Amino acid sequence: MNEAATPFQRFFRILVTVGPGGLWLFLFVLLPSLLVLLASFMTRGPYGELTGPLGLHNYLRLLESPYLQAFAQSLWVGVWATLISVLLGYPLAFYIARHPRRDLLLLLLLIPFFTNFLIRIYAWLVLLQKEGVVNAFLQAFGLGPFALYPSFAAVLLATVYTFLPFFVLPVYASVERTDWQLLEAAYDLGARPFKAFFHAILPQTYPGLFAGSALVFIPAMGTFVVADLLGAGRVVLIGNLIQQQFGISRDWAFGGALSIFLMGFVLLALYLYARAQGERGFRELV
Amino acid sequence: MIARFSLLLLALLLTACPKRAEVETLYFLNWADYIPEELVRKFERETGAKVVLDTFESPEAMLAKLKAGADREFSLVVAPDYYVLQMAREGLVAPLDKGRLAGLANLDPFFQDPPYDPGLQYSVPYLWGTTGLAYREDLVKGPVDSYGVFFDPARQVGPFLLLDEMRETIGAALRYLGYSLNTTDPEALEKAKELLIAAKARSVGFAGGVEALNRILGGDAAVSLAYSGDVLQARQEDERLRYALPKEGGTLWTDAMVVLKRGPAQDLAYRFIDFLLRPENAAELAAYTRYATPVAQAVPLLPQEMRQDPTVFPPEEVRAKLEYLKDLGPDIALYDRVWTEVKAR
Amino acid sequence: MKRLLSLHALLVYLFLYLPILVIVALSFNEGRRGVRFTGFTLDWYRSLFQDPRVLEYFLNTLIVAFTSTLVATVLGTLLALGLVRYRFPGKGFLRYLLYIPVVVPDVVLGVSLLLLFAFARELLGFPRLSLLTVILGHITFQVAFVTLVVRSRLLLLDPGLEEAARDLGARGLQTFLHVTLPLAWPGVAAGALLALTLSLDDFVVTFFTAGPGATTLPLYIYSSVKLGISPKVHALSTLIVGLSAFFLALGYALSRRRI
Repeated sequence: MNEAATPFQRFFRILVTVGPGGLWLFLFVLLPSLLVLLASFMTRGPYGELTGPLGLHNYLRLLESPYLQAFAQSLWVGVWATLISVLLGYPLAFYIARHPRRDLLLLLLLIPFFTNFLIRIYAWLVLLQKEGVVNAFLQAFGLGPFALYPSFAAVLLATVYTFLPFFVLPVYASVERTDWQLLEAAYDLGARPFKAFFHAILPQTYPGLFAGSALVFIPAMGTFVVADLLGAGRVVLIGNLIQQQFGISRDWAFGGALSIFLMGFVLLALYLYARAQGERGFRELV
Repeated sequence: MIARFSLLLLALLLTACPKRAEVETLYFLNWADYIPEELVRKFERETGAKVVLDTFESPEAMLAKLKAGADREFSLVVAPDYYVLQMAREGLVAPLDKGRLAGLANLDPFFQDPPYDPGLQYSVPYLWGTTGLAYREDLVKGPVDSYGVFFDPARQVGPFLLLDEMRETIGAALRYLGYSLNTTDPEALEKAKELLIAAKARSVGFAGGVEALNRILGGDAAVSLAYSGDVLQARQEDERLRYALPKEGGTLWTDAMVVLKRGPAQDLAYRFIDFLLRPENAAELAAYTRYATPVAQAVPLLPQEMRQDPTVFPPEEVRAKLEYLKDLGPDIALYDRVWTEVKAR
Repeated sequence: MKRLLSLHALLVYLFLYLPILVIVALSFNEGRRGVRFTGFTLDWYRSLFQDPRVLEYFLNTLIVAFTSTLVATVLGTLLALGLVRYRFPGKGFLRYLLYIPVVVPDVVLGVSLLLLFAFARELLGFPRLSLLTVILGHITFQVAFVTLVVRSRLLLLDPGLEEAARDLGARGLQTFLHVTLPLAWPGVAAGALLALTLSLDDFVVTFFTAGPGATTLPLYIYSSVKLGISPKVHALSTLIVGLSAFFLALGYALSRRRI
């Protein structure tokens, strides 16, 4: 590559390119992460400050019932949000990919995607209120009104709504690249439509499917805003717990442990995914 | 080209820096919707300074914000009475320099030496009121006269909200159980915690004062703990909203202004406090927020229906049943723990 | 089968647009609450434009977005270049570090920055939470995205072109400016656009890093929703939706022209 450059020139070039960005990452990603780790071993003082002694007490506290419950609920939201996204988004991706006016359809998909997600979330609040649109609709048929929110279902619904476009886009990218001739080949071999799809097309979409699922699962698990606005304190996910510790509870030590736990879980899940998919699949994620 | 590029970059970076250095600015942290805009403008016109108002919906969130470093960002904060001594202990607030506050003489004698801050060492009273039950009369299926509407499934009158303020809500549970609002008995707190967790499951969620009333007005809930003045303000929008003090006794509180020790524009903070101690301004503040003013000379300036309203100025026999929330010292950690556990489920 | 797919797609699109359309409709509603349409009015829009604070929040949002995007694009592009072209100790570690802001949930990023600023304040006396800390936070996650996007673009480039330039006598910087950068430009532009979008939309990181006077539009919408939704927020949301749709449509029309 750069045989003509002197070692000094090479060093200088690396410094100039990697230096600023690398330094930024060290300062604003690595260092804060280490601080969070440090805090997770510290203790909450009587006035909410971080003090010694250092210990594993915060992690032990994580294993207590309400916190494990919050984690379980977060997982539950993540799993269900992903499943529903697959149900809604997978066929949609195919529809768009095979459509002659697909850029227009993509544009229509992107408009909600680019709308500020807070707006998208509170829109559901408006719809689900006691005197909101959905209840008004139901009342026209003599049903309800029901207390649709706050509830787990409301949080799940808004979560799916928020992250659905994140799912569709990678799947769409995968579907666009599929080789439909394999389907033809399957038919030629006598396979029925369903089986043909299952064996010829579906595997080709795996990278997009996994990427899209990751893009829904991780934020759905880690978000606090949806549960905050649509759960009104009754739905508590791990993101809410973390926000509480750094907010009203002023227990940064415990919040640190919760953060490390969440971060660790996510990184572990991704590591396993990367192992399963290979490096290429991981890059597909981006 | 590189030169122009970096110049542009520099210019953009500079615009990101705090731009309000020229005009003296008061950074004021207050409850939401707790001061009329016109009053703030009046102060700005009088002093030529600028006021940046930031609001909070729960005092715990406010304290967390200050402890996270925002105490260097704000000059003046309105805090609940039970926070004053705590904030002083935590180093957020320094003793008042009373020489700069001529208006203190305008205060009612009671407020010149209130129980929550003897001798007014750290704070100046802002407004006072009560906390009780707010409800929409067309949505409740029974009498609203007790904390039982939250804690006793048999006495539930409709969907209810829990107020997002730690001392008030835990206090309600404690009073319902027959304890004092200020108890530090771990057994009492444990029972209150159980009660709250059960109530939370039956509730339609937590909400701050203003949000709770908005949700009741919107029909999402029928009843909630609320602050007297907020209810009166909201009644102007919908007459079906009512306020009642529970038979177990509600809380009587005073909100107080404190000057942050490490905050900017301290001089402006003092001037603002003195500004609000002037009878005409105190009256304007009270009339807008529909709360009672601690400034004795402002009371005659209030509209007559306010002066005669027992919700704003509860009579003696009612006041006797109400309790003040007190500073608990380091024992507050017990309450913090209960609140965290209630909120974490 | 095709019909079923079409129906499904239609329903999903309806699902995606229903809430937004409701908000747009309500922004013109005379009534403050409820969904019964009591009359058409532009009052909420008027009150929105007359509110000086909203304008301030809008400006804050823009200042943060443009400043952070600029810095992040420069940092990210350079970083991507370095990662693609050179080998150096710690490269693998740096690449993993890069993925953290991308995959880790916002909350964790937000609180880690809060901690960083708190510690810095204890040790160094600064920075105060303000617009600057928001910008610093935004740059952090933007850099990661920009780097990844530019990197994937750079990987598609033929290193032979750079070699050719060098053989012709171009020095390092010249090569960079006249060969590498123009070729990488679509990636850089895409990365910058992505960074801008992420910044404009960001709530969680801003939530933890903002100080007084640093309120952005997402933060304003959040506290408005918590206090009680007023049609004024509906008006603001409608405007935001309209603007996003407009720019997207513009981009779409332009890209079609290019081809």
